[in-house]
Amino acid sequence: MKAKTSAEGFAEAAKRHLDDVHAFLVYLTRDRAVAEDLTAETFARALERWHRYDPRRGEPRTWLCQLARSTALDHFRAEDRRRRREGRYAVAELRESAEPVFGEGLSPALERALAQLSAAEREVVALRIVLELDGEGAASVLGISTTACSTRLSRALAKLEKEVSAGVAA
Amino acid sequence: MSPLELVDDRFEQLASELKAATPRASIELRERIESLTPPSRRRPAVPLRRLVPAVGLAALAGSLGVAAVIGVVNSGSGDASKRGAVRSDVAALTPEGSSIHGAPPQRATLEDSLPPAQGRLQQYDASLTLRVQDADRLSARTQQAMRVTRSLGGYVASASFDVPGRKGTSTLMLRIPIGRVQRALAAFAGYGTLLSQKISVQDLQQRADAQTSRIGTLRRAVAALQTQLRGSVSTAQRKRLERLLSIERSRLAAQQKTLGATVRRAELARVGLTLVTPTAKANAASGRFDRTLDDAGSVLARELEILLYALVVVGPLLALGGAAVALGRAQRQRSDRQLLERV
Repeated sequence: MKAKTSAEGFAEAAKRHLDDVHAFLVYLTRDRAVAEDLTAETFARALERWHRYDPRRGEPRTWLCQLARSTALDHFRAEDRRRRREGRYAVAELRESAEPVFGEGLSPALERALAQLSAAEREVVALRIVLELDGEGAASVLGISTTACSTRLSRALAKLEKEVSAGVAA
Repeated sequence: MSPLELVDDRFEQLASELKAATPRASIELRERIESLTPPSRRRPAVPLRRLVPAVGLAALAGSLGVAAVIGVVNSGSGDASKRGAVRSDVAALTPEGSSIHGAPPQRATLEDSLPPAQGRLQQYDASLTLRVQDADRLSARTQQAMRVTRSLGGYVASASFDVPGRKGTSTLMLRIPIGRVQRALAAFAGYGTLLSQKISVQDLQQRADAQTSRIGTLRRAVAALQTQLRGSVSTAQRKRLERLLSIERSRLAAQQKTLGATVRRAELARVGLTLVTPTAKANAASGRFDRTLDDAGSVLARELEILLYALVVVGPLLALGGAAVALGRAQRQRSDRQLLERV
C-alpha cells in the first residue's frame, strides 16, 4: 500500500515537473536531444531514489532539479573525457541547427546570445528566470549561497543583454 | 513575489521573453517518463538519517538496560549489614599476637575472640564501633550498655553522647570485671552492625609475680633490721639501722601499692564502646531500591567513561575523515564549476 502511494506520488511529481526539468536541462546542455535523454535518465534515477525524498527538505521540483544537474554533470564529465581522448573540443562539435534550441518564439539574437553563455550562467538563468525558483531554491540546486546565486544571475543577465545588443547591432 | 520582479528593470523584457519561450517536453519524452517502472527493491532501504538516531537510541537503551540489570542483580546479593560492613573502613579479622583489629561480621567470632585467661592476671582492653539505625536507637542502646555494665559489676568511666541532628555518636568508656567482659561484649555486639573492633590482652602475671617477690625480699630485709635493733647495738649504729629500716619500710609500702594497682588493673577490663548512626552513603545502600540505583549509576558512569575514552581515541580520526570528505566535496564543486564554465 505504501509502495503504491509512493509510486503514485512520483507519477504526480513527474507529470507536474517534467517540463521544468526538461527546460532546465535544455538550458544546461544547449542540445534538445541530449536534454531529452538526460531528462529520461533523471526521472529514472528519481524513481529509483524516490523513497529517499524527504518533503521537509525541499520541494519535489528542487530535488528533481538537483538530480537533473547531477545527471548532466555526469554526462559532461563523460563527454569531457571522451573529447580529451579523441583530441577534439566541444566547440568543434556544436551542431548548427536551424531549429531554436531554447524555446519557440525566442528572437534569433537572444537564441545566439544564450548559446554564448557558459553552462554555469545558463543554469542560473534557467532556474531563476525560466523556472522562477526563489533564490534559496536555486542556490540549493547549484550548491552555492543565495548571495552568490544573485551575483551570478546579475552577471549572466548583463552578459546576455550585452550579447543581444551586439547581435542586433550586427 | 515572482523572481521576475526581483530582476533589474533593465532585464525585465529579456526575462519576459525567456519565460514566454520556455521549452516544453515532447509527447515522446512524456511517454518515456510515464512508461518508467519502479525498480524491484531487494531489501527495504533505511535512510541513513533515520538509521543513525535509531542506532543511537538503541545503544542508549542498551546501556541503560545493562546498568539496570547489573544494579538489580547486585542489589539482591548479600544483606545490608554485610554490605555495610564491607563498605566500612575496616580490615579483615587478623589475630596479631595478643591483639585483634577489624570488624568480624559474625557475632560468634566476637564472643569467642581472645577470652581472658583463667588463673592469670591480664590487662584486657577492647574497643568496639557499632552502627545503629537512628538517633532514637542510639540513645536506647547507650543506656542499655550502661545498664549492662552496671549489672555485670562494672562502671562507666566516661560517657559522651552527641546528636546534633539526625546523625549522632555515643562514646562510652566502661570498666567491666574481666571475668564477665565476654558476656558484655556479646551483649554489645547485638546492638547494631559491627564496624570495627580492637581487642588487646597484656599479661600482668609476670609483673605481679616479680612485685610479690620484691615485696617478700623487702619484708625479709625489714625483719632482719628489726632483729638487729632488738639486740645490743651502739647508739650510732642504732640510728643507722633505724634509718635503713625506715627506708626499707617505705620501699615495702610502695611495692605493695604497686602490686595492688597491678591486681586491680587485672580485675577490670577497659572497654571503649562507640555507637554511630549511619552515614549518608551507608544509609543510601540500606534499601534494595537505593542499592539498585547506586549500582546502576556506577555502571552508567563506567559506560560514560568508556564512551569518553572511545571519543578521545576515535575523535581525531573522525575529524580527519570529516575534513577529507569536506575537502573532497569542495574539490568536486570546483571541478564542476570549471566544467560548467567550459561547456
